Amino acid sequence: MMDLFSELFDMFDGMDMFSTQPQKVSYGSACPVCGHTWNDFTRTGRFGCGECYKTFRNGAAQVIRQTQSGDHTGKIPSKYGTEIRARRHLEELKRQLKAAVGKEDYETAAKLHAEIKSIEGGASK
Amino acid sequence: MIWYNDLNDGIVISTRIRLARNIDKTPFPAALDDKKRVEVTKKLFDSVLESNSALAKDFKSYDLDKLKKADKISMLEEHLISPQMVEGKGHSVLVNKDKTMSIMFMEEDHIRLQVIMGGYCLDEAYDAADKVDDVIEESLTYAFDEKFGYLTACPTNAGTGLRASVMMHLPGLTMTGNIGRVLQSVSGVGIAVRGLYGEGTNAEGCMYQISNQITMGLSEREIIEKLRTVVNKISDMEKQAREALSQKHRAELEDKLWRSYGVLKCARSVTSAEAKTMLSDVMLGQNMGIIKCDGKMTPLELMIKTAPSVIMEGKELTPAERDKKRAEMIRDNI
Repeated sequence: MMDLFSELFDMFDGMDMFSTQPQKVSYGSACPVCGHTWNDFTRTGRFGCGECYKTFRNGAAQVIRQTQSGDHTGKIPSKYGTEIRARRHLEELKRQLKAAVGKEDYETAAKLHAEIKSIEGGASK
Repeated sequence: MIWYNDLNDGIVISTRIRLARNIDKTPFPAALDDKKRVEVTKKLFDSVLESNSALAKDFKSYDLDKLKKADKISMLEEHLISPQMVEGKGHSVLVNKDKTMSIMFMEEDHIRLQVIMGGYCLDEAYDAADKVDDVIEESLTYAFDEKFGYLTACPTNAGTGLRASVMMHLPGLTMTGNIGRVLQSVSGVGIAVRGLYGEGTNAEGCMYQISNQITMGLSEREIIEKLRTVVNKISDMEKQAREALSQKHRAELEDKLWRSYGVLKCARSVTSAEAKTMLSDVMLGQNMGIIKCDGKMTPLELMIKTAPSVIMEGKELTPAERDKKRAEMIRDNI
């Protein structure tokens, strides 16, 4: 073998993959959309439908943690985008409200409270 | 232009982008029975084609259940469908006119949108796939979760659903015996290396597919950037290996490459494996300025067109007949 690249391999060796010790997960119920069970997933490595990710949420999160790099940060379908942005905005307002109450800034807290109520009221109509 | 006829630098041969998508509240293909699978395929076709005239005009649809196996294998060898779609039932595909884009239905996921282009063009290929993804989404609701992203049958595809891959021709690293170490090193950084036709296939003709393994936790652009860094590095190593061969073993190298050219130019029977290995040599000879081919087809095109099922053109041929036909095709076109 012509040894040409010894020093270049260091670049790859320095980058490490994350590993976590898996915990035992079990679920009693089947997915309401496709009928798959957690056992089906552990046997095949495949989910039966999108709803499985909700039904077996903790298990899915654990499996994903072992192979992926973190929560989704990529593209959001436009249909979900408005909803997700609205939810993130509401969460931010609630966080600000808590901070305002903590600082006893009741004027700001009242304004934030009214805005939250108005958004939540609008969403429930 | 179909990917193998497009220009490339002799190292990065083609670029592929694949997006995995599923529709909401519907079992994934493997969890559907035959009847339901037909219904879902129809829904997907109607939504994609009828709601968008631009797509309908540009794409031709193929019901794979109605195609002969040899025709399906031809599509596989042109990289328009996956190995999984050659077997089993209920698969369909839409292919655009220049064969750069294929939308596969009912593979492991409901939709696998693929762009394949000649040369090294990750951004261009991703932009093309992203645009069509937006068009398809107008008429369907994708299965999506804020935390897990696009939901797929296998969680290793969830998140972006993006598989970006680059096909590389690496004869220099192979001949100098460095390929194993290079490939082992990149697998440790979330990059996968596969053979010519994807997962589970061999790297015939020194062709390797380099792709991202991680699909979640990074944005689409970050995934592409990471792949690009690794591909650039491998490409530099291949150039160095070719340079080293050229400087230290020029005579042996020239002899080896010309011998392959000579065999292909004269042989009366050539097996598929032989063709790939020798065409790889001729490609290297061309790239290094050692051999000048002036035939009707490039060595890469011949590599694709002399694969067993493509050479059969839908007919039933014995292995001996195929080897004879392959030898003829190469002699006439190299």
